[in-house]
Amino acid sequence: MGLGDILSGRKKLKEPAADRLFAISTARITLETELELKPTGTAGVCFKPLSSGEFVRAENELQQLLDVVANESGSKVERRSDDLGFEWLVIHDEDFEDLVASVHLVASELDSRGFGPQLLAAVFPFESKGFDAKRIYWIYGFKQGTFWPFVPKGDDKERDNAEELELKAKLEKELPVEQDLTRWFALFDAPV
Amino acid sequence: MKRKAYGRDAGLTWRMLFTSSLLGLLYVFFALALFYVLNAGLILMLVIVGGLAFVQYFTSDKLALRASGAKVVEREEAPALHDMIERLAAMADLPKPRVAIIESEVPNAFATGRNKKHAAVAVTTGLWNRLEPQEIEGVLAHELSHIVNRDVLVMTVASFFAMLAGLLTRFGLYSGMFGGFGGGRDNNNNSVPVWLIVVLVSVVTYVLSQILILAISRYREYAADRGSALITGAPENLMSALQKIASQITMIPQQDLRQVETMNAFFIVPTNWRKRGAELFMTHPPMEKRLAALAEIAREMGRPVA
Repeated sequence: MGLGDILSGRKKLKEPAADRLFAISTARITLETELELKPTGTAGVCFKPLSSGEFVRAENELQQLLDVVANESGSKVERRSDDLGFEWLVIHDEDFEDLVASVHLVASELDSRGFGPQLLAAVFPFESKGFDAKRIYWIYGFKQGTFWPFVPKGDDKERDNAEELELKAKLEKELPVEQDLTRWFALFDAPV
Repeated sequence: MKRKAYGRDAGLTWRMLFTSSLLGLLYVFFALALFYVLNAGLILMLVIVGGLAFVQYFTSDKLALRASGAKVVEREEAPALHDMIERLAAMADLPKPRVAIIESEVPNAFATGRNKKHAAVAVTTGLWNRLEPQEIEGVLAHELSHIVNRDVLVMTVASFFAMLAGLLTRFGLYSGMFGGFGGGRDNNNNSVPVWLIVVLVSVVTYVLSQILILAISRYREYAADRGSALITGAPENLMSALQKIASQITMIPQQDLRQVETMNAFFIVPTNWRKRGAELFMTHPPMEKRLAALAEIAREMGRPVA
């Protein structure tokens, strides 16, 4: 928001910043070698559906988008919605670089179809198997163009803050990690 | 035995004196400038602000408790907290203040009250739950030191003229817009209008006095840290408490991104604009400096510092 917008009281939705998304591709190597966290082969893009007036147009656009993504990448994409009324495009691809590229494609297609300001976040789950089994998420906020870690704990919508801070410390060098911790919002029960 | 003096830090005392006298000097200039350009109306203003300051001073404890949503608790409701505060108050040679609890996960505490007899200490549930007992003692001793040091009085006096200046700015602007600040106008037909001078002087006074008041506030914090170290005899406890309170963990939100986004409809506050607040405008000194000062006290006292 510029000074002009502040003075005039204009409230504009911020355009998404998708370009720093690719940093997760290299960060994945550190995650895997140092923390034994592997990508799960899925990722999600979360966005807010438009108001009902736009519904038909939005539906058509989304269907087109799914076709485009299916043509241009080898990834499988499915639509999901969640209890909080948000739409998800869940992307499946065993190759992580392709997965990230598909997430980027989905985001930019959504953007070019006018969903840009409604783009909320991309979610990349990672998990470790065996004795120390756990699942962590890197969330990419399109508004700020930064990543932050999210580690849910137990069934009670709690999160493991210590683990999250450790992830931040480990990956800060190669990932644009959100420095303002008050923005590290959770995404419980993400369908990815 | 007389109460032991609360430690001495020559540098700090000097800085506090220096800032206070700067503030005093500023107020004298302010008063002179006002008397020079305004002949009437000032008495009224003084009475109004004096009244406000008086009310603020005498209701400070109730105001602060009310504003923060703190609930005064009796001994039965929080016996452990009462015990701890009683012990520390005895160490600090204070009558026991009222004890209040704030329902909040953010660890924090404050003390208020115009004098030792009308004091209250409030702690959040987050402080009580997240910190170790010795750390809580360190924090409570810090708050009790604020009471010992009469910080509510100090800050009320320090901000008296700042309030006056703030009020005059507003008052001057309105009366300037709606037809003048009394009689001064006729004599000054070809010079700058009186109300403009008053407003300008008031604005400058206000800004400068705020900076000085904040500086005094920071010095009082150092003094209270020192007080805490002397009451508990263990500055390292306050140090670890401060580190915990400031630690990042308490900043990470529990809310879900989607709920937040629905609430404020994707409206984003400009990033990082509040993070780089210059030290000049902070009521508390930066954490590193407080920790360094406490470490220094710990060394003086021959305590181990981690």
